[in-house]
Amino acid sequence: MGVLDGRVACVTGGTRGIGLAIASAFLAEGARVVINGRDPAKAERTLAELAAGDAVHFIAGDVKSRSDCEAVIDGTVEHFGRLDILVANAGGAADFAPIVDLPDEPLEDALRWNLWHSFWCMRRAFHHMIPQQSGRVINISSVEGKVGKPGLSSYVIAKHAVNGLTKSAAKEVGPLGITVNALCPGVIETDIVKEGGAGAAAAMGLTYDELLAQFASDSAIKRINEVEDVAHVAVLLASDAGAGITGSLISIDGGTAPY
Amino acid sequence: MGKLDGKVACITGGTRSIGRAMADAFVAEGASVVVNGRDSAKGQRCLDEMNAGERAAFFAGDSSRQDVVEGLIDFTIEKYGQLDICCLNSGGVQMTAPVFQMTDEEWQLEVDWNLNHVFWGMRRALQHMIPRQYGRVIVTSSVEGKLGKPGIPGYVATKHAVNGLVKSAAHEVGTLGITVNAILPGIIETDIVRETGPASAEAMGVGSYDALIEMFCAESAIKRPNRVEEVAAVAVLLASDSARNMTGCLFPVDGGTLPY
Repeated sequence: MGVLDGRVACVTGGTRGIGLAIASAFLAEGARVVINGRDPAKAERTLAELAAGDAVHFIAGDVKSRSDCEAVIDGTVEHFGRLDILVANAGGAADFAPIVDLPDEPLEDALRWNLWHSFWCMRRAFHHMIPQQSGRVINISSVEGKVGKPGLSSYVIAKHAVNGLTKSAAKEVGPLGITVNALCPGVIETDIVKEGGAGAAAAMGLTYDELLAQFASDSAIKRINEVEDVAHVAVLLASDAGAGITGSLISIDGGTAPY
Repeated sequence: MGKLDGKVACITGGTRSIGRAMADAFVAEGASVVVNGRDSAKGQRCLDEMNAGERAAFFAGDSSRQDVVEGLIDFTIEKYGQLDICCLNSGGVQMTAPVFQMTDEEWQLEVDWNLNHVFWGMRRALQHMIPRQYGRVIVTSSVEGKLGKPGIPGYVATKHAVNGLVKSAAHEVGTLGITVNAILPGIIETDIVRETGPASAEAMGVGSYDALIEMFCAESAIKRPNRVEEVAAVAVLLASDSARNMTGCLFPVDGGTLPY
């Protein structure tokens, strides 16, 4: 008996990192889960690791594409018959630079990856959730959705925008049994961070290790977060117990964000 | 197997409403709980209803008094040998008046109940938790810890202050295995709100108790009051090992009321 028995979830960027931890926690609580990712080969490994049989299904797609986002949502409904929980988890940024030197393209890419992806998935998901008068949307934002860091403006801008989207959407669908929340984790050493971290650090004039140390030092716990920290809160929000929480930007950052 | 097996909690204002929902949820997850309240008869009824045997106890006293709050912490440690989870939950709107009419004595009552109680309890609990390098402090704040309403300046000011206390303390003990968080519920029709609501409604100029509840609902996204169980579920999460890396967090359970 899990708190998500009978629920169907869709997790973008679900083959590794935070998304995988969320998918895994949802499965453990009885949900059926679609995980999305770009690379079917990676997904093969993830599905083998999860060993959840028919309860988990992979849909390939690039979240920077509207048609892919919509296909992931529609594909979830097609495969499992409904959609209860959307976790817009994919995201990140690349090609960091101080604003004075920042070309348009990295910002456009970050907006597409974080904001447009969340918007496209949410809009499509609402088409399924509004008629059923129930649903949960969980956007994986970041502590950078609440505070700024020099050199990371594309990511900071995109995550702040995701938080705005979360709050507006929550007000729109609040009386319809649908909640919309954002989780704002501190830095976590996921694959994405390992891949993009060096570039981000360089834009801040730091090495990768110095970057992680600075994030840890900004927190109260003086260490970085872990993917499971985020997954536990996602389960609560997705469950019936989360029905009264919406429009919230929940910090899972070891005490970093000031509000 | 519960999420809080073997843990020991104490809860100020634990015999009814939010505190009681926390107590029930903690016991269901395997913890032992000491609930506090002013009224011994209510305390006994609470224990009878909880039916948790040796895993629940009552400590009588007014949580706006320092000796009571510290007594609760000490009693819990004496009875169960440790204190893992300290819920500083009691509080409410005691005095309604616009600032220009509020007396020092009325103001002091609000400060003692909503702020000093939390400080006294947290300080005593941390003195026990720091040597053990483990603990959870959970403060029941309010949406009024971030917003403001006319006519209840003492409540609004003390809930804001409590949020500041939580953030400072979180940074002080963050590396010691102790987390300090606040939960910020929206309006909930608790016994306390039913008792004090009519006076608050008058002070805010909204006419009636029903109009007060309606006003809070209208400000939310879900257009209904919150429920005590919704707060208790968050308290369980924050109390559990799952939330060891969450601290200094002002966790809203407000149906989308707060702007930040």
